[in-house]
Amino acid sequence: MSEPNVEKNSTSRTEVSSLLEINRDPLRKGKLTVGFIVAVLFILPIIWMLLVSLKPNGYSTTNPLDWFLPPFTFTNYIDIVVDSLIIRWLFNSFLVATITTILTLILTSLAAFAISQMKFRYKNYIFIFFLLGLMIPGEATIIPLYEIVKSLNMLDSYTGLILPMIASPLGVIILKSFFDNVPKEVIESAIIDGCSNFKIFYKIILPLAKPAMASIGIFTFIGSWNNFLWPYLSILSENLYTLPVGLPVFNATYSQAYVLPMTANAIASIPVIIVFLIFEKQIVKGISFTGIKG
Amino acid sequence: MNKKSWIQDLKAIPYLLPFFVAYLIFTILPIFKGLEMSLFDWTLVRKMEFVGLENYKEMLGDPHFWRTLWNTTLFVILTTPTMVALALGLALLANIKTKLQTFFRSSFFLPSILSVAVISFLAIFMLQPYSGFVNTILHSIGIEAEPFWMADKVLAWVSIVVVTLWWTVGFNMVLFLAGLQDIPDSLYEASEIDGASRWDQFRHITLPQLVPIGRVILLLQILASYKVFAQILLITGGGPGGATRPLIQYIYEVGFRQNNLGYAATMSYALFFILLILSIIQLRNQRLEER
Repeated sequence: MSEPNVEKNSTSRTEVSSLLEINRDPLRKGKLTVGFIVAVLFILPIIWMLLVSLKPNGYSTTNPLDWFLPPFTFTNYIDIVVDSLIIRWLFNSFLVATITTILTLILTSLAAFAISQMKFRYKNYIFIFFLLGLMIPGEATIIPLYEIVKSLNMLDSYTGLILPMIASPLGVIILKSFFDNVPKEVIESAIIDGCSNFKIFYKIILPLAKPAMASIGIFTFIGSWNNFLWPYLSILSENLYTLPVGLPVFNATYSQAYVLPMTANAIASIPVIIVFLIFEKQIVKGISFTGIKG
Repeated sequence: MNKKSWIQDLKAIPYLLPFFVAYLIFTILPIFKGLEMSLFDWTLVRKMEFVGLENYKEMLGDPHFWRTLWNTTLFVILTTPTMVALALGLALLANIKTKLQTFFRSSFFLPSILSVAVISFLAIFMLQPYSGFVNTILHSIGIEAEPFWMADKVLAWVSIVVVTLWWTVGFNMVLFLAGLQDIPDSLYEASEIDGASRWDQFRHITLPQLVPIGRVILLLQILASYKVFAQILLITGGGPGGATRPLIQYIYEVGFRQNNLGYAATMSYALFFILLILSIIQLRNQRLEER
């Protein structure tokens, strides 16, 4: 089939070009096979974790295939819920991540609105001051942060977990560039209609910025859910542990028995896996967006 | 006029203030607090005496500081090129038009959303000698060796690097994928007419077009890898014999186990400057990209 014929053909162009691609790439089958094997290897540990969590407590085997075959049972989940603090830690993680996300969105969108749409003195200096935050690695300032949070009497508390994480300069920058792109006419006509600043922010700008807010929200949530170093340093009471800090404590009491630790890991993972499967498209878009900008 | 601008300033304050206060206290203040702490003997309980630059002198002569800084650097050297290559490979696979595309993308990315605690303990339990999943697979395909993944220096590094690649490559893959999708189809179509082979296209179109995003990924990766801590702490505990202990773990141990926050803050400052230089390079590179 020569090129000009393809162009005249009545079949849609994309279909033809994908047909062509299939015909033209002799390695396609090989590539797909490699892709399939790698993809299976990538999720194999996760599937293994989920299956081990369904094995009878104390189960052990030297044949790796046995893990994938019955008997299966749900009793481990009940044991963990009843006998351990895992559910409490799950609740803590959820609470901290949710409040952190909500506060981050409120603070960053308000600040981004002021910088994008309002007129005030020293605006550029303030924005540059916020930009500096991009260069400050939290890991390298965590020791003084500990002292500051201690002097505010917020160590070992939800407040101490949440407040240090809510001022995200990257969020302000992303939202500002989003707000900048809202058509001027829309805002001007709102001003003529007598809308207050807050009404413009709340009724016009925020609804238009939903995609950016969603990306920032999802990333803040996952970041907080998985945050390890800060809760590891600042939380002392077992009751206030988040999952990433509590799980190792729980797991460390088992060295050869697999079933209960894997159940705990599964309980910690299933919520994020569900969130991921629901929001996959936004997450992937959000990464290319935030990753390149930030 | 003057009065009016004063009113406008006032109106902006409620929007800026909440972020400004949180940012000032929890992001900016620690830099200055850290400087203060590094000049004092400072325990977990309280500030002790002023020691000037003693902590800095101690750092420069501390073999553990250099050793752990080297371990962190080694981690960067081991993971960066492998990460970029693997991310590119996975992105190419995930970019093939096929019914399996969603499956490929989700599988490659799924580990990235798991908590560090989960992936570390998956690694520990899978790499257990005798009964671990990996060793039992080795046995079942006829390999009689019994590798102790955490007890050998080289194997411990291999474990950490492989686990880290598996855990975090999805993020970089997505960035490459975005880069691949930005390459205009017209480039491929034109080269097809010129009779270019697939391999020619890859070498002369795909790779050069991916250089800018590749550079971003490379720098982000170096920056992120210098912050390595949690997975090493949880998988090897820094062992065997301190062979994998990264700088942040040492900072943590000095501060919270040896009760010496002043010295821990001093070493944090060293890390701060390394990361600051890297992120200035990174931001400058990104500004070049956007032009």
